[in-house]
Amino acid sequence: MTRLSNPRSEEKDPLRQLVEECFRREAGNSVAIPGDDVDLIENGILDSMAWVSFLRTVESASGAGELGSGFNDRSASFAAVMAALQERGSPAPEVSPSGPEHTISENGVPAIIAGASAAVGSRVIPSEEVDRAFGMPLGKLRDRAGIESLAYAAEGENELALGASAAQEALRAASCGPQQLDWIIATSETHHDYPSLAAQLHSRLLVREDCGALDVGGACLGLLNSFAVAQSLLVSGQAQTIAVVTADVHSRTLTPDRVAGEFGGLFGDGASAFLLRRAVAAQSDGFRLGDFLFGCAGHYASAIQVTGSQGGRLDVQFDGEALSRAAITRMEKVLAAVELRSGIPRAAVGGFATHQPNPRLVALLAKQCGVSPEAFPPIAKTSGNLGSSMCGAALHACLQAAARQPAGERKPIFLASLGPGLLFGGGWLTPHDGLVSPTC
Amino acid sequence: MNKLLITEITRVGPAFCVIGLQRENDKIQSIRPVPSFANGWAHFPHQRGDILECALTPFPGAKPHVEDRVSTRGFTRVAAVPEAETVVYLRKSELAQSLHDLFDCRIYENKKGSGLFAKPQEARRSICGCETQNLRLELCANELRATLALPSGEVLRDLPVVDRDWRDFIDAALVERRGANRVVRLERFLNSHFHYKIMSCPHHFIRLGLTRPFHDLCWLMLDTLFPLPKPEWLQEF
Repeated sequence: MTRLSNPRSEEKDPLRQLVEECFRREAGNSVAIPGDDVDLIENGILDSMAWVSFLRTVESASGAGELGSGFNDRSASFAAVMAALQERGSPAPEVSPSGPEHTISENGVPAIIAGASAAVGSRVIPSEEVDRAFGMPLGKLRDRAGIESLAYAAEGENELALGASAAQEALRAASCGPQQLDWIIATSETHHDYPSLAAQLHSRLLVREDCGALDVGGACLGLLNSFAVAQSLLVSGQAQTIAVVTADVHSRTLTPDRVAGEFGGLFGDGASAFLLRRAVAAQSDGFRLGDFLFGCAGHYASAIQVTGSQGGRLDVQFDGEALSRAAITRMEKVLAAVELRSGIPRAAVGGFATHQPNPRLVALLAKQCGVSPEAFPPIAKTSGNLGSSMCGAALHACLQAAARQPAGERKPIFLASLGPGLLFGGGWLTPHDGLVSPTC
Repeated sequence: MNKLLITEITRVGPAFCVIGLQRENDKIQSIRPVPSFANGWAHFPHQRGDILECALTPFPGAKPHVEDRVSTRGFTRVAAVPEAETVVYLRKSELAQSLHDLFDCRIYENKKGSGLFAKPQEARRSICGCETQNLRLELCANELRATLALPSGEVLRDLPVVDRDWRDFIDAALVERRGANRVVRLERFLNSHFHYKIMSCPHHFIRLGLTRPFHDLCWLMLDTLFPLPKPEWLQEF
């Protein structure tokens, strides 16, 4: 992705703003922004630890990886950082009050979400019933995690059924026939059968035979991984229309005989689907995909590990407290990086479509980020943690809320999610001149 | 008099910090001799593997630097053991498989940038050894940094490398008389031969340490990396 070469004044240089913001985060607001040529280490403004930390923040915020390795022959100054960023053609944000003016591909054609949908299992179970099934004290899920009910798949519902239902709704919302699809990209953390979920969706939706079918991993990060793949196919011109589908049925995988309730009891069943297109003149409605950032915070790897063991049991290593801390810390960091890279202040965001491990953590994340909890759609509260479909269900809700706003008043949406590893990812969407068409 | 097998010599700024192993009955534990007026030594002429005789007060330092003992007299070298044997003793000393067990406390991620830290009141020691699944050194903005994977699979990034011998090796690799493209040549070495030499070495072992509290945080650093660098490696790049 590249930025547009808008003429801009020196004081509004987005690269400078990005570097200054990263510096403030490292040094604190009380430290004055130094002159461009001031050596930050020699002048005692940052020590060597803080200097490297600052560079890592700039790397993350700008998307200019391995920036630090280019600094072995340079001074530790703003001027050197700016020069290094310019040399690398950093995708610095365009700065405007409501967000970046444009985030476009090399060939100038952005990818947009033209239709969206979500579905949850049709059996709604009070959380106390789940407490009982897992042998936990009644009220534990409600009191400790904030989960009031869980959406479980009914008989006859599975990943394919839920995913296909969501996909068909998304196609309808975008007025798109299945024969227009060039790719189906599917992700699920519970579907491990073959033919794969993407292949089964291919058959169920009756798309063209030469429509590709791709399964993407990442567990709860699967939707963002899928978006990144879809975006690459769209902006490179290899595809015009793509369906991204998530579907998860935890209630048949994380059962009381296989896992502990503190883990398995959190999860519900659901699906989401998004119709992505290359934006062309005749199709102006939708939300435009911005950049994505990804990574893996391996020091949290032991917080959640799931492996299959003999006899069909799942060996789950789940340190709830450590995972909660990791989730909050890392998602806050991802959202901060998205804010920096997009140039969109979090206060200007209309909705946060994030992973929701449980409602308590969502509230805590909102508090840590200093934003209203209302900006996080309350999916986990009534349906439970939907795995790879969580972020999708939240995004669908954000798009629905945006659709209720007048065209000129819609706000950007931030995405952030996590997966075991600890994988993390984030991104953003901005209104694309019109209304995306979510169902319902 | 106490006998210490010197296992750590770290360089932070102008001072050297030293740690040795002391045997007490069947237990081998780390001891950090410090001068009475500072946390480090301005001059330390000994090597790792040296066995030094010294006089140490019995009082441990404040958490998490409980290994601190004030040295009331100078050091006298009485013997030395080879590098591989030093590692044998290190493996019998403080040892961890996972991030939490390193300092017996929670380890925090720097929210605003890179690095990991412990809180002084939570950490129960300031030095610990471990095996690694993998290890990489890189030069980032003239600072030597390590990224490594613990046996638990947890990955630690951007650890400052304070091992005196490795820092001296890097400094020697970058001296002007070594000709052009020194940084690039060093990076190439770190990305290729280094990895083979380190990971294939039977006595590959590391020790991680905590800095002194700085703004009430103790940052993780790579104190020691075995095998130690050999001067002849400089001829390879």
